[in-house]
Amino acid sequence: MFIRLASKSLLNRKGSVLLTLMAMSVSIFVLLGVEHIRHQTKDSFNSTVSGVDLIVGARTGSLNLLLYSVFRIGSPTNNIGWETYQAVASNSKVAWSVPIALGDSHKGYRVMGTTSDYFKHFRYGQKRQLEFSAGQQFSGIFDVVLGSEVARKLGYTLGDPLVLAHGIAKTSFSLHDDMPFKVVGILETTGTPVDQTLHVSLQGIEAIHLNWQQGVKLPGRRVDREQLNPQALEPESITAFMLGLSSRMATFRVQRDINNYAREPLSAILPGVALSELWQMMGLLENTLRLIAGLILIAALLGLSAMMLASIREREHEIHLLRVIGAPPLYLFLLIELEAILIALTSIILGLSGLYICLLTAGDFLASSFGLHIGTNIFSGDNTVFLLLIIGATIIAAMIPSFSAYRNAKASL
Amino acid sequence: MAIQLKDVHFCYPEAPNKTVLCIKNWSVPEQEHVFIHGPSGSGKSTLLNLLSGMLRATQGEVSVLGQRLDQLSNRQRDKFRANHIGYIFQQFNLIPYLNPIDNIRLANRFSGGKTIASDVDNRIETLLATFNIPPSEWQKPVARLSIGQQQRIAITRAMINKPELLIADEPTSSLDPDNRDNFMTKLMSLAKEHRITLLFVSHDMSLSHYFDRIAPLSEINSAGASR
Repeated sequence: MFIRLASKSLLNRKGSVLLTLMAMSVSIFVLLGVEHIRHQTKDSFNSTVSGVDLIVGARTGSLNLLLYSVFRIGSPTNNIGWETYQAVASNSKVAWSVPIALGDSHKGYRVMGTTSDYFKHFRYGQKRQLEFSAGQQFSGIFDVVLGSEVARKLGYTLGDPLVLAHGIAKTSFSLHDDMPFKVVGILETTGTPVDQTLHVSLQGIEAIHLNWQQGVKLPGRRVDREQLNPQALEPESITAFMLGLSSRMATFRVQRDINNYAREPLSAILPGVALSELWQMMGLLENTLRLIAGLILIAALLGLSAMMLASIREREHEIHLLRVIGAPPLYLFLLIELEAILIALTSIILGLSGLYICLLTAGDFLASSFGLHIGTNIFSGDNTVFLLLIIGATIIAAMIPSFSAYRNAKASL
Repeated sequence: MAIQLKDVHFCYPEAPNKTVLCIKNWSVPEQEHVFIHGPSGSGKSTLLNLLSGMLRATQGEVSVLGQRLDQLSNRQRDKFRANHIGYIFQQFNLIPYLNPIDNIRLANRFSGGKTIASDVDNRIETLLATFNIPPSEWQKPVARLSIGQQQRIAITRAMINKPELLIADEPTSSLDPDNRDNFMTKLMSLAKEHRITLLFVSHDMSLSHYFDRIAPLSEINSAGASR
């Protein structure tokens, strides 16, 4: 009867209740949406690379190195010599190493030169290995393995030819059109920048630059593809390399050794540490978003409180009547609280279903346009805490009108 | 005695020097039907609020149905009112957005709810039928019913907890003559049938012939005279 009275009373004031409900729903939608996307982004962010102990590049800041080597954002400051790579890789504490050569692109997607060790050692997420949805890894000089998004967006299938462009600009006029590549493999979707990358062998990168000097194609010099010898195509320099160590205990020693490498200035970073540094930089933005979401909720709660307070005045007769038939003043207090909680609960249901539907419909768009893989599981442990907090805040906000009803009931004659 | 007042003084806490009610000795025997009349501002509603336990006397003994109301706590008086006193006003007797059945059930809920729900529903339906409320109206919000129907449902609501004392505060003022006579006959026969003590306040002297005793408020309350 108590709940029936409260809900009927709310239904009786459809107009103002509906508006309050909408304000609350929107604020809950924003609050939980921000929280959810923040969590998911952080997860997908932190899962871009795992199982790699050190990333080594030319002397630079750790964020810059992380961004260009893992996220394919920005450009490398300098290259490092092949001898340097071999010297570091032959260190007895190094279990495996994967060289990376960047600098070319294909229709805006970056091309990464590497070795077949990349497919063997690179890990993402919870130490997950790269897997092929079609074909296999490259074996010839002009073989290319596509990230899932590259294949999907550009519509490539196995055996398709494609031409790489020099430089990383979205539209490049200097194409390596004399040496087309052939698609031999397509990777499974990973939700990491791997999806947006074309993988070729280091020899392939060397081969297409044979007739180039200082970033310009030399006219008149043609290379005969058939005469290329993979053994002869040893790269002179690479952009960076990843290291796996035989013992994680050695990480800091090896890092120090690399940073102090005498013949060439190098930087070695721990990907996990650099990732969390990067995430901290985004923390300000993140906290701003949370703050705004919180303020929106407070505004909605104040609106709720104001609406309820105004209703008390209209309901003086009702309050008096309830008193006469024996309702104690506390009953009136609780009645108003219950009405507020009912509004909050309905708003939570509306806000959550709105969020769920949005994630469901926008999920593909986010994944393809921003590489953000947002799951639809909005009932994580944190969100449950948030929902409890919202109910708690509603109870506190409704204290004002509830107390007004209580006082009204006490004085009601 | 259904009502027994002795040396009762009342003044509102906001105006402690102004005595609103001063009753030396006044009583109503059980099952008597009393008609109280008086001009507005003569302490009428204060008296009713004292008797229903909404207010507590500043001084003196207020005893209703053998219970000293002045000695009960707020919560006990609320409970006593729900269980023993029926109350009908001039208007706003019902929660407008609830249907007749829910309105009556709500009144029953505050009595302590020792009765079984299905029993209560049976009694509600019988009472509504006696008061000529057609079943088609039972599920409508009372705001959509006529004033006459609303006042008859109000009696039903006041009767649901089988009160021994019924207080009616100008219940006929908003009714037209036909509805008023209909209402009065129903009320009086019900009071007789259930042996209820009836306290009826009105300024409409034409209704006084229904009652055993006519009491002008100025005779009960001596505070009005001194003012």
